[in-house]
Amino acid sequence: MMGSESKELTFTERIDMLRATKMRHTEEKWRELGCFDMDDLPIMLPPPESRKVVRVVSGSGLLIVDAMFKEFTPKTNHPSGGIFGARDCGENFRTLIDLHPPYIDPMSSLAGGYMAHFSAYRQPAWNPDFDFSPLHEDHEKYKLHHGIGAVQHFCQDEAIGLTLGWGGILANIHHYRTVNLDEEAQELYDGLEHMVLGIQNWIARHAAAAAEMAKHEEHPQLRQNLTELASMNDHLVNHPPRTFREACQWMLYYQLAGKMYNMGGSLGRVDQFLFPFYQEDKKRGILTDEEAIFHLACHFIMDTSYTQLGGPDASGKDTTNALSFLVLEAAHRLKVPVNVGVSVGKDVDPKLLRRGVEILFEDRTGIPKFLGVDRTSEGFARNGLPIELGRQRAYSGCHWCAIPGREYTVNDCVKVNMAAVFEVAMKDMMSDRSIKPSVDALWRCFEKHLRRSVETIAKSLDFHMDHMYRVFPELHLDLLCYGPIEKGRDASHGGVEFYNLCVDAAGLATVADSFAAVEQRVEREKRMTWDELMHFLDTNWEGEAGERTRRMMKAVPRYGSGGSRADTFGVNVAQTFTKIVKEKPTPHGFNMIPGIFSWAANIAMGKDVDSTPNGRLSKSPISHGPNPDPGFRKDAAPTALAIAVASVQPGYGNTAPMQIELDPGLSKSDEDIEKVVALIRTHFEMGGTQINMNILNKKAILEAQKDPTLHPDLVVRVTGFSAYFASLSPEMRQIVVDRIIAEE
Amino acid sequence: MNTADVVFNIQRFSLHDGPGIRTTVFLKGCSMRCFWCHNPEGQHPEPELRYFPERCIACGQCVLSCPNHAHEMHDGTHAFLRENCELSGLCVETCFSRALQMEGRAMTVAQVMDEVLSDKAFYESSGGGVTLSGGEPALSKDFAREILEACKVHRLHTAIETCGEVPWASLEALLPFTDLIMMDIKHLDESKHQRATGQPNDRILSNARRLASSGKTIIVRTPIVPSVNDTEEEIIQIATFVRELITLRTSAHQNGNGEIRYELLAFHKLAAGKYPSLGLEYKAHDIEPPTKEKMTSLLNAARRCGIEASLR
Repeated sequence: MMGSESKELTFTERIDMLRATKMRHTEEKWRELGCFDMDDLPIMLPPPESRKVVRVVSGSGLLIVDAMFKEFTPKTNHPSGGIFGARDCGENFRTLIDLHPPYIDPMSSLAGGYMAHFSAYRQPAWNPDFDFSPLHEDHEKYKLHHGIGAVQHFCQDEAIGLTLGWGGILANIHHYRTVNLDEEAQELYDGLEHMVLGIQNWIARHAAAAAEMAKHEEHPQLRQNLTELASMNDHLVNHPPRTFREACQWMLYYQLAGKMYNMGGSLGRVDQFLFPFYQEDKKRGILTDEEAIFHLACHFIMDTSYTQLGGPDASGKDTTNALSFLVLEAAHRLKVPVNVGVSVGKDVDPKLLRRGVEILFEDRTGIPKFLGVDRTSEGFARNGLPIELGRQRAYSGCHWCAIPGREYTVNDCVKVNMAAVFEVAMKDMMSDRSIKPSVDALWRCFEKHLRRSVETIAKSLDFHMDHMYRVFPELHLDLLCYGPIEKGRDASHGGVEFYNLCVDAAGLATVADSFAAVEQRVEREKRMTWDELMHFLDTNWEGEAGERTRRMMKAVPRYGSGGSRADTFGVNVAQTFTKIVKEKPTPHGFNMIPGIFSWAANIAMGKDVDSTPNGRLSKSPISHGPNPDPGFRKDAAPTALAIAVASVQPGYGNTAPMQIELDPGLSKSDEDIEKVVALIRTHFEMGGTQINMNILNKKAILEAQKDPTLHPDLVVRVTGFSAYFASLSPEMRQIVVDRIIAEE
Repeated sequence: MNTADVVFNIQRFSLHDGPGIRTTVFLKGCSMRCFWCHNPEGQHPEPELRYFPERCIACGQCVLSCPNHAHEMHDGTHAFLRENCELSGLCVETCFSRALQMEGRAMTVAQVMDEVLSDKAFYESSGGGVTLSGGEPALSKDFAREILEACKVHRLHTAIETCGEVPWASLEALLPFTDLIMMDIKHLDESKHQRATGQPNDRILSNARRLASSGKTIIVRTPIVPSVNDTEEEIIQIATFVRELITLRTSAHQNGNGEIRYELLAFHKLAAGKYPSLGLEYKAHDIEPPTKEKMTSLLNAARRCGIEASLR
């Protein structure tokens, strides 16, 4: 590998080389797959001779381009060509992982890497025998992201696996197979067993590959590393990890298998479940902090899953520990997209927030993000559940939390596109000649259709819960949850204790600004009639008069400007959505929790909506999450943004995250850092729940917008996730640019 | 709270005009005409019409709305005749592409406070507050005093940025309600000062001495403008004056009081684009901002005078 050189490599040099390798893999993906507006999944492409490129639906419901192994032909169990149910999903997944080559980078202290998304092979994703065509009309009418077929998006408890090891998990499956004898349980056990056996085999092949590579490695340090990898992996095939490094290795396999199975595998509270290993190794004198940082970095380079640092335990006591800071440090040294969330709360160690902001300033990668743990815990308790559970919910996805191993959520998978609902309401009012058009009448129509869309979501969620276990069960997450193995039930079908299903709204500012614009220009100033407004919307503001009118509508004080009518509409829309979601559970009795978040889907959702009265052009993106649209104030004051976003929080434990880009002119001085710390704290004290913050390199962003290849390693926090700027679609790159150069 | 004057900007989350997160209220009207001025829209005391031709979509609505024929259309292109403009503001109300904008509007103290108090929670968490800037805030003495007084009722930290070229009574009236004074001293040589700013400096220096005796915290600032004041000799003169202020302070207040510091600011050209929109000529085109090395050497020269100095 390194010729006859035998210079001792430092951790920094090894991280530099790992980062360069990741960059090569990423550039290869750009060439083969194009852009992708989603998490920086650290998947590598299959070797060129085994590779074929296809278009598939991602775990978040977006159409993406993916690369597949030519050698793997899934064994269908249905005339549609699909693979459905635990047994067949498990068996096919095992076949795939069995042919998946091991991946070992001698620079890394951990083995493993992945090259396949099983979901890409199982098409169609939904079993057509389970017919939800009665819901299609409303799905289409309101352009709902309805959640039927949603996968993962809840959180396992990694501690289960770290305690049991693969052998222990398998023994549990064998035991409970003799307890739960019904067909559903037996099929699930078949699937789970395939999953475990496949992973064990994969680990064993890594052990063998590492041993083989060690034989040929000339660099003594790397040879030693490979020998250790061989021995460590040999142990982990069956046994639980004994050391911090082994725990990181165990965790990496679990995460990679999740990514491979259904793009799942959120991390949760990594500073908690790894802490006993850290403490023990430190006590035995076999681990330095530098080594711990390196092992964590080796994990994060291959797995960008979401993790929470610090925050309360069930009793409310802060859990921040030495490891919390080391995880942050690992992300800092890597400077690749990593999704680390820092807890901020009344009792949380303030040093963690301070260090997080320092790194944000220094790296300018949008890492870490910030979690308002007091607000999300208190909000969760408003569902009638104990606050102790709310405190245990772990940040584990773009904008979401879940109780590790105990809660099924479909977080971030269900979206009500309120801009589409507004459009339906507008057309409904105008086509009903018995209604005299007015803002009041429009509001009533909007509320009616918003309710109808939430009811449709509720029915869709019930349908999902009825059938998902027979379509594509959560074989991977089931392994580390409390209940699925014990009860013989998939997490989507009664396996876990709590069911709190996420229902997010999107397009808040689009709707609030539209109401305000209509109220001011049509109703109060009478600058045009309702029919004339409809004409402008129907013609996408065409012609000189159209363009002038569009600008007139855009010039109305917007949501976020502070004290405007649009601000009032923003609050009313958020409260009405919340009220409707909380009015009742789904018909089958599942609790629903409202949030406001569009994810990166505001582009796709925008394509579903024609022109809106806020001056938005047809098919252009709708507003992002609970944020005001760029240009909401001349000074773009972050404090005004923070107040607006805090004012629209649904308040039941799910979030409405503030996306904020700060002045690149901020210095790294103590004084400026403290000002940003104060901004973060105050937003959370006002009710805010999460903050995605960028301190951007404006010059680099503008250059990269013109030519992404100029800054291939530029990392930004796009929404809940962070990603390479160059990976994003031109539309998403433009959204990021618009946020930083809003019109003066 | 009904006193009103012309405000041209209220900047929330202002980070460079005093400690913590602040709101800076920019009052229109200044007694000086520094040729490099970074806020030329603050010089004239009355509202002004700004015109940004690049934003114009040539819809012609301004022509129809203006009673004074200040707008014309020729072959589909709009022309603004500033000499005809009597600031009716009617064109601005029809210009939704924001090519025509009114700079400055009369606001009451109550209206200003309404905006200022929106961020009270942020001032409290960051040790911030409110800064009056301009223009020259002390020219709007009663308005400025009432805003500062209202801020004090809400226990907010207050600061003013002043050029010093105002009657002492105007500054003195603000002092009871002001925690921090940021004051420019641009040159000690009277004739050079006059050439660069349009005003002599005797009243400024006299006001500085009186402020030093007042015991308030003062930051003396010098914008470093090449060709005006960028030699070590010139900065040493100002720094020596600052040392004199500190001595004055010490003798007036034996038990110590608010500190007096010195800050050097680098001239920049970000304001160049503002001038044409106001119908003004930018006269600093040929001047390049001072280099980092230059600023550091000037800072060191100031420090050699035995005062606390920093770059900003």
